[in-house]
Amino acid sequence: MGGLPANRTVNGFAVDPDNPKVMYVAMRDGLFKSTDAGETWRRTGGELKNLAAVGINPKKPNEMYAATMDGKIYMSADGGMKWKKQQ
Amino acid sequence: MKRKLYLGLLVGLFWLLRGSEVFAQQTDHKKSGQGFEHVHALAMDAEGRILFLGTHTGLFRSEDGGKSWKKVTLSAKHSHLDIMAVAHDPRDPKMIYVGTHEAGIFKTPDGGTTWGQANTGLGGLDVHGLALDPNVPSKLHAAVREKGDGIYRATDGGGKWVRVDDGPGGEVKVLTSVNIPTGMGGIFLYAGTSEGLQRNPDCF
Repeated sequence: MGGLPANRTVNGFAVDPDNPKVMYVAMRDGLFKSTDAGETWRRTGGELKNLAAVGINPKKPNEMYAATMDGKIYMSADGGMKWKKQQ
Repeated sequence: MKRKLYLGLLVGLFWLLRGSEVFAQQTDHKKSGQGFEHVHALAMDAEGRILFLGTHTGLFRSEDGGKSWKKVTLSAKHSHLDIMAVAHDPRDPKMIYVGTHEAGIFKTPDGGTTWGQANTGLGGLDVHGLALDPNVPSKLHAAVREKGDGIYRATDGGGKWVRVDDGPGGEVKVLTSVNIPTGMGGIFLYAGTSEGLQRNPDCF
């Protein structure tokens, strides 16, 4: 699983229901995306950090949500590239 | 001598009661002042309408994309529930499961109006991960920590759990069934843990 920070806690995980090889991992270091079922990963989500969880809208997989450990909620409408704080 | 003893007991009782009152006030203040405190899980229902947030201070739901939240009461018996996992049925938007730190698994068939515990067969009640099979939503896997730790499976919507594996190394933070065939008749279970992301075929 190359590309993820080694020996670090994975707090959150989400899968694209239309294409399960596309998956996201939420970590203290930020958001990471894989398009090959987790073989390789690259950082996405800009400056997002301290993430506790990530979720995908099953009806619109480009719409994503992320929560930081201290409860801030962010939304993305473009598959996790740009994020907007919700509260 | 006896009178002194009674007086001492009364003074001790007074300070004990006063101390517990102060402690209760501090606990309430802490709860109300810090909102979610710590987030563990985030999931959206099958219709893409309601977001659920599992936190240290309970389960919350939002119908406006996370801008505002309402607390969901799971049980009158448990005043405090630490929600570790939220899983929704991909075919039935009203069927939702949550895993808790102290009271096992709760399930609602009506979108969160009524909840019941679904713990038969679980060796412990500290549930850190809950995964529904996207192909067969009545098939679930649960990751239990501490007492009775391991991976449990239910094939009847959480009616009866059977321990099927020791589980991944490290503390499980999230557990998900991913619809990628293993070639052995099952699909893969992915676990986010304190030792990174791990995966295993679900045909234990």
